[in-house]
Amino acid sequence: MDIFLQTTINGLMIGGVYALVAVGLTLIFGVMGIVNFAQGEFVMLGMYASWMLATYLKVGPYPGLLPVGLIMLAVGYIVFRTLIARVVGKPDEVAILLTLGLSIFLQNVILVIYGADYLTVQTTIKDAALNFAGLSLPLARVVAFVVALIFVGLLSYMLAKTDLGRAMRACAENRNIATLLGINPKFIFTLAFAIGIVMAGLAGVLLTPMFYVYPGIGTLFNLTAFVVVVLGGMGSVPGALLGGLIIGILESLTGTYVALDLAPIGTWLVFLLVLFLRPSGLFGRRVN
Amino acid sequence: MKKDVKKYLLTAVAAVLLLAFPLLVDNLYIQHSFFMIFLFATIGLGWNLIGGYGAQLSLGHAAFFAVGAYTAVLFVIYQSLTPLIGGLVGVVIAVAVAGLIGYPCFRLRGPYFTLATIAAGEIVRTLLLHFQDFTGGANGIPLPYKGDNFLFLQFSSKAPYYYLALAMFVVVFFLVRYLEHAKMGRYLAAIREDQDAAESLGVQTHKVKMFALLISAAITAACGVLYAFSVSFIDPDSVAGLNLSIEIAVVVIVGGIGTLWGPVIGSVVVIFLTEMTNLYLGDIRSGASLVLYGLLLILVISIRPQGLSSFFRRN
Repeated sequence: MDIFLQTTINGLMIGGVYALVAVGLTLIFGVMGIVNFAQGEFVMLGMYASWMLATYLKVGPYPGLLPVGLIMLAVGYIVFRTLIARVVGKPDEVAILLTLGLSIFLQNVILVIYGADYLTVQTTIKDAALNFAGLSLPLARVVAFVVALIFVGLLSYMLAKTDLGRAMRACAENRNIATLLGINPKFIFTLAFAIGIVMAGLAGVLLTPMFYVYPGIGTLFNLTAFVVVVLGGMGSVPGALLGGLIIGILESLTGTYVALDLAPIGTWLVFLLVLFLRPSGLFGRRVN
Repeated sequence: MKKDVKKYLLTAVAAVLLLAFPLLVDNLYIQHSFFMIFLFATIGLGWNLIGGYGAQLSLGHAAFFAVGAYTAVLFVIYQSLTPLIGGLVGVVIAVAVAGLIGYPCFRLRGPYFTLATIAAGEIVRTLLLHFQDFTGGANGIPLPYKGDNFLFLQFSSKAPYYYLALAMFVVVFFLVRYLEHAKMGRYLAAIREDQDAAESLGVQTHKVKMFALLISAAITAACGVLYAFSVSFIDPDSVAGLNLSIEIAVVVIVGGIGTLWGPVIGSVVVIFLTEMTNLYLGDIRSGASLVLYGLLLILVISIRPQGLSSFFRRN
């Protein structure tokens, strides 16, 4: 039972980070209908940025959240204006292919620059753990979970209660009417895309103390984030949160009780099952 | 009339050159590169049926490729069965897998099919890695040498593989050319233009897409068999990896999605570029050829979405 509880909690913790990556993805999809296949690569860029700050400037991972967040905001802005803006409103495949190209490009540019070595950030938080009731919670995971949930909460609040959030929802509903109401869709799209990228980058920072940093790691988060988003319902922020937690726990349980290297299979099977039974996901609108 | 003569003459010259090629060039590396060009052109033609004409983007064709390759190789190893039969079994399994993916996805619109194909590819890859006692796992599995033997698709030179790939390419090329103008091709074009309109005219969209996917999977699996026996070694990452699925899609998109010549031109360009960068930049840093890939894909999509073959079309 202890192993079960420990496994579940471990999965829940990492699930929080999955949720953060997926929230960015679902925001971008919900607001402008773009399926971003490079989301995982922005997690990877966040990890490298965090690694560089720690290695060259001795900035610890958590103070690095702010600078990395700002860098990713700029990256998101540039990527949207140079590439993504061209394909907004075009068929799904066009955006998928463009972001797929971007993903291959980013992954391999990093590979060419930094090589395929597995990098680690040296911090004391790595070995620290909270112990209670016979459970051991690695501190890095707890922090990642809590901080990720805070960001997801902030984003939900922004979408629900602020003018900017209302403008984003308006653009998602109907771009033309939003324009008539005095909203500048290009600005809103740029901002929504950049915020989605920031979420991915921040997730990268939170992951750096517990994962190796290497060029291909983005693929892992790309694929997981997609499953999370489909499970939660494409475009739904609460769905992405719940989906992230479920997938985290599921992956952890499959890894412990079935086989460690089969952990992703559980995730994929759930994904195919959702497509069969309830393609709209937990919170999504009905799709036909 | 004069134009026709010119066309036939050109085709005849090309055919003679292609047939005589292994006799003219005995460099094994170049022969293998040409083998790869025909192999990828053939897979691309197959991918195009569903990905191009059907506009259902697949990023999981490596799953079919791997199922074909592994089934044929495992039958040789455990049953000493000729790949001519083992490969056929592989093709049938690949078609069944394709059916499983297509059935739920073609009821939906949106990116679900693409995501499900990625899932299928990753499931196949993970299973091949996991059952290592049976499949050799990450170390891959070498083909036992049975001597120069057509029944086991093993030859002491490269040339027979070249001819097999060329033959497969020609057959698939004419099959796709036929399908393009047959009912299926017209239905697919109608669906691509406007699915609702096609449905209202009585096109069974689900069935048509399914048919295209199944043929596409069969072609890809057959290519997997040929590949496995030509290199006599397979491992999960190279035949079932997401990178292979992406490479297949990139070949067609760069060449021209939904066109007959697109996969052919794409294969020539992409294989040539890959071999060149591997030859000249491979030692400096791995990944250089993939940077080029990504860049090529971004450029084609944002500047010339119809692909390179559109430069050759007159109208």
